[in-house]
Amino acid sequence: MTDHFFGYPRPDGQVGIRNHVLLLSGTLYANSTCERVAHTVQNTIPIVHPLGRCQIAPDLAQTFRTLVGHGRHANAGAVIVIDHFKEQGCTADEIAHEVAQSGKPVEVVNIRRDQGAIEATAKATRLAIDFNRRINTQQRERFPLSKLIYGVNCGTSDVTSGLAHNRCVGWVADRIIEADGRVLAAETTEMFGGEELIKQRAASPEVADKILGFIKRMDERILACGVDLRGSQPTGDNIEGGLSTLEEKALGAMKKWGSKPIVGAVEYAEPIGTTPGLWVMDTPGHGGESITGIAAAGAQVMSFSTGGGHTINHPLMITMRLTGNRESWHAMQDTMETDVSDIFDGTPLDDAAGRLFDEIVAICNGRMTKAEALREWNAFAINRCGPSV
Amino acid sequence: MLNALVIDPKDNVANLIGPGEQGSEVNCRIEGSDRPTAVTLADTIPPNHKFAFTAISAGEPIIKYGLVIGKASTDIAQGAHVHVHNIESNRGRGDLG
Repeated sequence: MTDHFFGYPRPDGQVGIRNHVLLLSGTLYANSTCERVAHTVQNTIPIVHPLGRCQIAPDLAQTFRTLVGHGRHANAGAVIVIDHFKEQGCTADEIAHEVAQSGKPVEVVNIRRDQGAIEATAKATRLAIDFNRRINTQQRERFPLSKLIYGVNCGTSDVTSGLAHNRCVGWVADRIIEADGRVLAAETTEMFGGEELIKQRAASPEVADKILGFIKRMDERILACGVDLRGSQPTGDNIEGGLSTLEEKALGAMKKWGSKPIVGAVEYAEPIGTTPGLWVMDTPGHGGESITGIAAAGAQVMSFSTGGGHTINHPLMITMRLTGNRESWHAMQDTMETDVSDIFDGTPLDDAAGRLFDEIVAICNGRMTKAEALREWNAFAINRCGPSV
Repeated sequence: MLNALVIDPKDNVANLIGPGEQGSEVNCRIEGSDRPTAVTLADTIPPNHKFAFTAISAGEPIIKYGLVIGKASTDIAQGAHVHVHNIESNRGRGDLG
């Protein structure tokens, strides 16, 4: 089994598995400018979203933290931050200031200051060309797997999830942790019913309490809207698919976590510590929001395990998709990388999971995922913790 | 031949692969063991649903993944369908309490 990968060393010690110029929108009114430049200049990734304005302070802080996390992300070799006019608390200048701490080249374009959408597009286009010429002679170097943060997430689960693909992900998670890497899991919604396992696996009572606190907080937030999450879970399609209780569903989902202790827990889009091991982030089950939070914390690569097959793909954190449901594999070939349905034919877990591990290392070394090649940039979504105002 | 997966040696339920008719014999593979065990289905089982690997008494925990996923609300015969009609979640429900 491989013990290394080839990536781009960054000034702050992180190692990227891609070397993109990031066009980071600070606010929705700068989105189209980001997209125009992305369509014009090669090797640019646009990150666009509907936020950055008219949010209450804690919600805006969460948006800011998520955007900074993406600017600092190891897969971005250089960053252009674009905003609109006089934002507050989440300006392109403020985002760029934080991103600059990482040592990578950063520039700001403000549509109003730079005299309009077309002028701003021209300025950002020239910057993107210049940045490309600065960064794309950088070569990959060899690094141990300890430099990886492996993100894990799942969606459209069915009963094959806990039996096949999630177990493969957990196996890979264990191997990465054994190599002193970090694994980042999330999806608080999927932890309802898994509280006993969390208590058993947490490296300390503080870590267990923090995660149980996430579950309680989500439960209360939803109850405050007049809905009981537990009363609606498992869902109709889960039940039809064979999942009988919340515990069974949660334990199937948590198979992605492997078997190692949980060393820490973080809030949405908060960076994780350097301790090797399994980390857990508070995110909703919403795929886009969940993987965006994980990306903001610096995960270079993610496996998204799915019963139904999926197109979900983060623009900057390289996302691969696997399933153990053979029908789903055939139906969703266009955006799926790995099929582990042969577990049901008798293939040992080690063999199937070993294939997943090899695919992930190859992706780290530069193999494009299908969705990456297709420019399926569908899953950048920032979680909200307050209403628009 | 029908196949089923028993994920952990402590489990008392097996997951059928595909659907199964009442009376069919199922090859149950226990993860980590080479020797499958044959169980006869006491019910017709929908695709990928669970059935009792061993007989389970009312009130006994249902074990899957080596952990408790609920408790039996009635006696369950070996090979019988195990699902929402005879498992109770141990996780309380806000709308019921």
